[in-house]
Amino acid sequence: MKKWYAKTYVSLVMIFLYVPIAVLILFSFNASKSRAVWAGFSLKWYRELFHNELILTSLYNTMVVALVASVVATILGTAAALGIYSMKRKWFRSAIMNVTYMPITNPEIVMGVSLLLLFVFMSEKMHLPLELGLGTLIIAHVTFCTPYVILNVLPKLRQIDKFIYEAAMDLGCSPTQAFLKVIIPEIAPGVFAGFIMALTYSVDDFIISYFVSSASSATLPVTIGAMVRKRISPEINALSAIVFVVVLAVLLIYNFISIRHEKQIQKGGGSFR
Amino acid sequence: MSENAIISLRNISVDFDDERVLKSINLDIMDKEFITFLGPSGCGKTTTLRIIGGFVDPCEGDVFFEGKRINGLPPHKRHVNTVFQRYALFPHLNVYENIEFGLKISKLPERERRQRVMEALELVNLKGYERRGIHQLSGGQQQRVAIARAIVNQPKVLLLDEPLGALDLKLRKDMQVELKRIQQSLEITFIYVTHDQEEALTMSDRVVVMKDGNILQIGTPQDIYNEPTNAFVADFIGESNIIDGIMHKDFQVEFANDFFECVDKGFTPMERVQVVIRPEDLKIVSPEGAKITGVVESVIFKGVHYEIMVETLGYRWMIHNTQYVEPGTLIGMSVTPEDIHIMHRMEEEP
Repeated sequence: MKKWYAKTYVSLVMIFLYVPIAVLILFSFNASKSRAVWAGFSLKWYRELFHNELILTSLYNTMVVALVASVVATILGTAAALGIYSMKRKWFRSAIMNVTYMPITNPEIVMGVSLLLLFVFMSEKMHLPLELGLGTLIIAHVTFCTPYVILNVLPKLRQIDKFIYEAAMDLGCSPTQAFLKVIIPEIAPGVFAGFIMALTYSVDDFIISYFVSSASSATLPVTIGAMVRKRISPEINALSAIVFVVVLAVLLIYNFISIRHEKQIQKGGGSFR
Repeated sequence: MSENAIISLRNISVDFDDERVLKSINLDIMDKEFITFLGPSGCGKTTTLRIIGGFVDPCEGDVFFEGKRINGLPPHKRHVNTVFQRYALFPHLNVYENIEFGLKISKLPERERRQRVMEALELVNLKGYERRGIHQLSGGQQQRVAIARAIVNQPKVLLLDEPLGALDLKLRKDMQVELKRIQQSLEITFIYVTHDQEEALTMSDRVVVMKDGNILQIGTPQDIYNEPTNAFVADFIGESNIIDGIMHKDFQVEFANDFFECVDKGFTPMERVQVVIRPEDLKIVSPEGAKITGVVESVIFKGVHYEIMVETLGYRWMIHNTQYVEPGTLIGMSVTPEDIHIMHRMEEEP
């Protein structure tokens, strides 16, 4: 009785979440332009998508920004987490943590506007080379991605037995060696999770990117947003379908890796070495 | 500095947050000995160990290793290895890789590494566990890996920080024997930290009893047990009856409202002292003519002996005796002069 109840509940949630996406994917193969009438299977919109210069440029921009921003955010965030973790004064640590949460809790529109104002101010009044473009996009994305890395790495640091660092030095490691050989492998799953999260949020972002990008440096979400305002082209369906499949693939791979890592830890030895 | 000392501590003091946790400690540790720092928590025993390991720098004083001053030398440059309290094994490495870690850092060739890891595994009875993950091991096995990981580097001195604290009683007893065997077969110095007096007495060649950052007594387990230098040591090592007394003159002490002959001398006349008598040194005699008499209050069976509590005027005595005595009986107690230990009163010590 209870099982039946739970199953129905889960199915309803799944339907609610995935039916819109299923419909979208289905209609991306529709031969007609209409979103109500099924006119037969066709790959027409996919073909047109790959000939759309604007979309391809945006896709490229998105990839560059996401990769650069998440790598930088991962390095910055991991370093910040290490710093926060070793802070001695409690009030100072919680102050820094609150600053860390700011970009996450702040409405994105506020972030977007304030970053835009900052960039304009800096390029016009201080004559810094900060014209809106890929550079400003990357800076903005690093800003809101870094906290996610910090929040993923900190719990891993707290889990570490403090004495393993001393043990490494006791066994002949210099402090740097001890950090690289013992601390890094221990926090690697957190760093990796933080990187994936940063990547996802960066690819996803619309509002902040909308403010800090120029026409030539628009990312995919910004371009789609602009296209949709004029008319909804079935090309967008095709593009969304591709994005969905890619994100799904990344998630599956990530889960696969973490499950394998967990199994390996149970069996002995890890994969992050 | 003593000739055979491998490690010497000279006037070592340490402050943590304005609190002095070690008060000018002096100690010589001999080559190849099993020495134990014993004391209650907060006595400074672990801090002393960490000074030797290089994890704590003394605020004052000098540390010598084979005659050379090593103050400020970082841990990775010292010829000592540590077995940590909660083992501190590397969770991302398996048993073999954990033990191999130190050898890899010192860039030993692969073949020699393998040979030494295997020897270490054999020494701690963990052959066949090479590929196991750390989380698959029991507490006792993790303990053995921690020991193997330390000794595989062939240190001159092994530091052990309450290594058996997390194990159950049975396993702890086995490991005590095991550790002593390992120490003897390796012929290296073991410096062992514990708060467990029985552990200290079982394994050590010498015991250093510590309290509040001071060393109270250094001696063989027999010395420490039979001739404690003060009432704290007597009380901490085994159970004791500690009674206030007055030392009238050499070889004569007054306590329990009577005069007793003893073997101690050198106290100021009429000095107020503490008299320590081990429970097993009190003999039960007939109350007629006995210097101490009292009524048996309770009797508890302890396996090898009965623990008998006897109420006298002003003091409750504890006697360990193999004979059962009915509670409520009036008994007498006697003690030989050799078993009466006279201590200066603790309040008068610095």
